[in-house]
Amino acid sequence: MWHITKRELYNNLNSLRFALTTVLLLGLMVTNAVRHIREHPKRVQKYHNAVTESMNRLTAIAETGLYSLAQRGPGILYKKPSPLHFCAEGEEPLLPDRVDTFYNRNGRRFWRLAYPDANINMTNVGPDVSQIDWTFIIGYILSLIALIFTFDAISSEREHGTLRLTLANAIPRHTVLIGKFLGALISTTIPFMLAALVNLLILSSASVVHLNTQAWGRIGIIFCIALLYTCLFLALGLLVSARVQRSAVSLVILLLTWVTFVVFMPSTLAALASSFSSSMAYYEYEERYGQSHTELRKTWRISWRESKDEEVLRIRGEWHTEMAAGEERLRGEYLTFKVAQVQRARAITSISPAALLQHLLEAFAGTGLDRHQQFIENVQRYAREYREFVVDVDRGDPESLHIMGVREGLSQKPVNPEAVPKFEDTLNIGKDFNTAATELLLLSLFVVVLLAGAYLAFVRVEI
Amino acid sequence: MLLILIRRELLANLMTFRFLVAMVGTLLLVVVNTVVLIDDYERRLTSYNTATQQHSEEVSSASTYSSLEIHLDRSPNPLSIFNAGLDRRLGNSISFSHILVPTHWDTESHSADNPFLNLFSSVDLILIFQVILSLLALLFAHDAIAGEREAGTLRLTMANSVSRSVILLAKYISAMACLMLPVIMSLLLVLILFSISGSILLSGDDWLRIGGILLISIIYLSAFYLIGLLISVITRRAATALMLSMVIWSTLVLIYPSLSVFAVNRLWDTSSQLESAYREIEQIWEAFERDRMGFLRNDEIEGEDLNANIRYGGTVGTFHTSNPTTLMYSKVETRSIGIKPEAEPLMPHVKAYFQFTEPRRIRAAERTWQVRQKALDQVHVRKANMAKNLMRFSPAAMYDFATEAWAGTDFHGIEDFITAVQQYRQTIIDYFYDKAAFSSRQWFAKDQGKVDWSDLPQFSYHRADVSIGAKHASGDIACLLLINIVLFMMTFLIFLRQEV
Repeated sequence: MWHITKRELYNNLNSLRFALTTVLLLGLMVTNAVRHIREHPKRVQKYHNAVTESMNRLTAIAETGLYSLAQRGPGILYKKPSPLHFCAEGEEPLLPDRVDTFYNRNGRRFWRLAYPDANINMTNVGPDVSQIDWTFIIGYILSLIALIFTFDAISSEREHGTLRLTLANAIPRHTVLIGKFLGALISTTIPFMLAALVNLLILSSASVVHLNTQAWGRIGIIFCIALLYTCLFLALGLLVSARVQRSAVSLVILLLTWVTFVVFMPSTLAALASSFSSSMAYYEYEERYGQSHTELRKTWRISWRESKDEEVLRIRGEWHTEMAAGEERLRGEYLTFKVAQVQRARAITSISPAALLQHLLEAFAGTGLDRHQQFIENVQRYAREYREFVVDVDRGDPESLHIMGVREGLSQKPVNPEAVPKFEDTLNIGKDFNTAATELLLLSLFVVVLLAGAYLAFVRVEI
Repeated sequence: MLLILIRRELLANLMTFRFLVAMVGTLLLVVVNTVVLIDDYERRLTSYNTATQQHSEEVSSASTYSSLEIHLDRSPNPLSIFNAGLDRRLGNSISFSHILVPTHWDTESHSADNPFLNLFSSVDLILIFQVILSLLALLFAHDAIAGEREAGTLRLTMANSVSRSVILLAKYISAMACLMLPVIMSLLLVLILFSISGSILLSGDDWLRIGGILLISIIYLSAFYLIGLLISVITRRAATALMLSMVIWSTLVLIYPSLSVFAVNRLWDTSSQLESAYREIEQIWEAFERDRMGFLRNDEIEGEDLNANIRYGGTVGTFHTSNPTTLMYSKVETRSIGIKPEAEPLMPHVKAYFQFTEPRRIRAAERTWQVRQKALDQVHVRKANMAKNLMRFSPAAMYDFATEAWAGTDFHGIEDFITAVQQYRQTIIDYFYDKAAFSSRQWFAKDQGKVDWSDLPQFSYHRADVSIGAKHASGDIACLLLINIVLFMMTFLIFLRQEV
């Protein structure tokens, strides 16, 4: 078997395709690195400036007392840019990088979280092209390379008659197949490894990008996923090559399959899926919002009229907190509806290996929709923490009336600005693994099925 | 002789299994995507219809002249199924009033759909043709000469007294005939699906546009076939030709467009231009404000706040919008108020005030628009055009741009709509002048009933003529043709001088 692998390897290494693919991948990876070095520092700078501003505002508010802290809220919360932006960034410009907190100073209404919509760039009238990130390089180019290395692996040897010669030696067929597979795998991995290492070398030598141990671990996982993805296309190439008599036909079939699954399937399936499942429309949301608003107002008015003077404060406080909580809940639900529709469409696109790869790379690079949802969860957890903090501080003051929502009901003592909880967005690799597990298994399943298919096809075929 | 060769080539191409596979694959993809695209178009159309209806109701609810704000919607272009272009991506709803001239950059989307769905890239029929047909052309061409040379049949053919030019021509004609077959068949299938769906109504103009798209598709196909043929003539072995073709294909179709946009984004920075434009706009409004305050100081009403003296309920909108990044700047002053009984003697002065300020305000708004338009076009359009020009080295991009222009979904097509809206705003202003609206009481007061909007001029917009689209596409088509001719000449010359 090693003999066959070696022979395949030498064959491939000397061929034109090896040289061409190496040049192509190197060029793309260098572009990718240059782009990241230029853009990442700007992103990080923007994030840091925004966070500092937010923090200063929070400190200023804390100094004016507990009520303004409770009413105005923590300010805008920002999503931390991932250092692995260069691996997958396709969706990132579209997803909002923050969660707003609204409050109304005059109406003395309380703060609530407001989730911005996807920001569609209406000013871009230029051509819409895919970004050169690892998802593109692996998903499109590497898969194409894998097919080009395998489309004639069996069919051309059969055409030339060398396959018969090889099998005339007492070598079992599966050994030949595995040898060919390994040979192709190594010869596609070499240019990719080379290009990726050059990319990482450029990135790590640049002083502006800092990759920590966790980031390197993630890159390692992304490498493994890339290998798995390459295996999938190699297996597909071998399968078709074993079934089809002539290599020209095998190439046409493979390229059409590639175009269908990699280029068109993700968007076509997504469009199909999203047309079947409808989300909550904006006017529906507005309607529900209006309804809950009027209901609250009604109950509040009644209790306002019926209550005596000392209770008014309590009821007013309740009204303010209820309003904020109700609106925040509705906004959250609206976002969940929208995201759920996208998630359903994404689940269906998982039939396409390219879409699978994109989801996996996004999950491990810390970009994309899953990461955005993680960020939203972080924000919601922080919002709870923040509100609890206000309650705790208030409880610590014996002079306070302990009525949330009104100035008179809260502690009047100054608040230590240091003690106010600060928001910090974090990435959690364990969570990423959990969300990606299904997709990882699906990708492995595809590889195994295709490999088994290639084996069966090759064992049963006449030579 | 030419005919015999063509027949041989045709048969050799048509009878192959790879042709069958390619044909079936293309047709399947086209059919599935057309169904999806038609469905998408129908949804956009429904959303457009609801939005227009809602907005036309809003117009008649304005109770005074000054509070009139008109929202207009852009209908989806049925040919966006062929090339989506900017039709889906840009905003399709725009609003204006007498103090705001809308530009391209103030559009919004109907709020009916889920913006997160834009995470998925969209497909159109031209993308399918662009990717698959170029691939097929290269697959057919790579072994046309190199394959025959390897097999020795080329030498055999030339042993008969056939000139080399005839062989080349025969190969080109027959391959093009074969490749056109899937194009024409998929177009027919698309048209059949259109007629089944029933929601897509094509005008005579649209048929011409589809014809233009077919023509460009054929020229594009021919360009890629000739690239393949050139490679096939140059290389000794078919396998080498194939590798070269694949690399060139992936570079031209997949990689190069991304690279050129990346390069333009790197080189282009335009923040300073906006700053100077913003200062200019601020000056325009300062001058207006000086005039206004001068008038108020000299008239007979006490104090400088009109509302305090005359207002009796109703709504007042006096606010100031400014945004340095979109260059949005205006001082709005709209009223829909009741009048205090004791303020009745002041009415002539108030009318005089509006008669003085509003034409000036409109002039300021128009001058703002001129500055804005120029500055924003500098920033956004020039950048896009640079990226486009750089992309034009790839025939695939040229194909995309040319079909976009024919379909009317390019920037010019969308701009036509904006221009129509701007003209409509002008007719509304003229209508105000005709009715002497600025000096009328109904400009600000609603106490004498709502304005009668029944004779308000209606907005109508028709897409530009097909000849305009053809004109915008002509540069790209000429370029594609030039590429064709140059490639054919090169192939021919190299093939003539080559040893077989």
